[in-house]
Amino acid sequence: MTESTMNASLTVGAARSGVALSDRLRTTFMPRLLTGFVILLAWEIVVRAFAPAYVAKPTTVIMAIPRVIADPAFLRATGTTLAAVAEGLAIALIFGTIIGLLMGRSPMFERGIRHYVNGFYAVPMIVVLPLFSLWFGYSGATRIATIIFAAIFSIIINVADGARSVPREYMEVARSFRSGRLSTLVGIVLPSSMPYLLAGIRLAAGRALIGAVVAEFFISVGGLGYYILYNSRSYHHNEAFVGVLLLAAFGVGFELLVTWATRRFMPWYRRDEKTS
Amino acid sequence: MVPLSETLVRLWQLVSGGQFITQLIDSTILFLSGFVLALVVGMPLGLLLARVRVLRIGIEPYIMILYATPMVALIPFILSLMGFGFAPKVLVVFLFAVFPVLYNTVEGARSIKPELIEVAKSYRSSEWALWREVMLPYTLPYTMTGVRQAIGRALVGMVAAEFFLSSTGLGQLIMGASQNFDTAGVFASILVIGLIGVGLMRLGLKIEQHFARWRN
Repeated sequence: MTESTMNASLTVGAARSGVALSDRLRTTFMPRLLTGFVILLAWEIVVRAFAPAYVAKPTTVIMAIPRVIADPAFLRATGTTLAAVAEGLAIALIFGTIIGLLMGRSPMFERGIRHYVNGFYAVPMIVVLPLFSLWFGYSGATRIATIIFAAIFSIIINVADGARSVPREYMEVARSFRSGRLSTLVGIVLPSSMPYLLAGIRLAAGRALIGAVVAEFFISVGGLGYYILYNSRSYHHNEAFVGVLLLAAFGVGFELLVTWATRRFMPWYRRDEKTS
Repeated sequence: MVPLSETLVRLWQLVSGGQFITQLIDSTILFLSGFVLALVVGMPLGLLLARVRVLRIGIEPYIMILYATPMVALIPFILSLMGFGFAPKVLVVFLFAVFPVLYNTVEGARSIKPELIEVAKSYRSSEWALWREVMLPYTLPYTMTGVRQAIGRALVGMVAAEFFLSSTGLGQLIMGASQNFDTAGVFASILVIGLIGVGLMRLGLKIEQHFARWRN
């Protein structure tokens, strides 16, 4: 956090004078650019020297990007996977929040299901694939089920944590104003556990993406994961790698989005307090 | 759906058949190889990044990117480059596990107070003492958070490697059962892996809490 506040003060300073900006350019951006360049260069050289021609290397991947992005099959695959992730995540979010709120506020409910939630959370999500493929067949339903399974438990656990840590005074005020159970839950507990929910979503989104890709690998249903699998099997590594880049972009993009949202809408909440 | 009783009976058959034990040992060796490799690479590298500021600032964003990238997506590449041996599978487990360790160690390094190092320096601390007395104790709790995450991820990596690369170990057990429509067998294997997952998660939490005592 110290560095981000430092960065913030630096940007403020940069607005005042150009000196701080050029300083930041020199101490931060240059090393980053340089490191990136070195990594790409090393990759290029190693692949050129030791690997067969079809292996992805920076220059050929970059050349493949326009071709892949214009490819309708790629766009369709991306769309399918993203739609599935969004759908699964939405379902996981709704049910996860409800279960999490109940778990956080009702000790009896919590005692009843805590071990199962923690247990399922600890199960590597990938092992349920064979089971889901038996249940739901080799179709999109298996993918959705895997995404939900991958995402829901981190939301439940985080929301329950948040609901448990609602300040006692809030609850007392609610009670003294004779607020009903439901309105307390929706009006006080839910907003108060929002930062936890966001942390849960951040975790869940990453897991959901992995779940979608793994499911597509396993049951060979069309999507970005299958696109990667298919192209790498047919020695189109460059095209496949563009898919990996896109996945990485989604992963990073979501991470940044949630961090930004937390800072923007909940500036009083610091993430490093929670993760400890 | 299969009742629990049938699952347990099937589990007993698998265990007493002896096949199960060898699969479990196979998986354990794979898990440990990849995980230990991730620790051996991740921890020193993280500490090095902690000490050398320029290097850290340079590499940090890339570690963050790799941390957020779904590593499963790389499995097809590893398969076509390295084939079906033991090494590619270790690589998969390693890739799953190393970035949480690295990411959290760097995160810890970023939060070392400059005053600590300045004080050590002004007492003419040697480089080695600085590492041993300041850097290591300070970043260790963060690293251990990474280790806990890495345990979970390595387990996923292990099963993923056993599913999508050469089929061995517990992954093969599940796959085999699933292909024979032996739902009880699938349940039995999932139960076992689930229990291993819970056990490892507990262990990870214990380790993390043990080292978190001097955090803050």
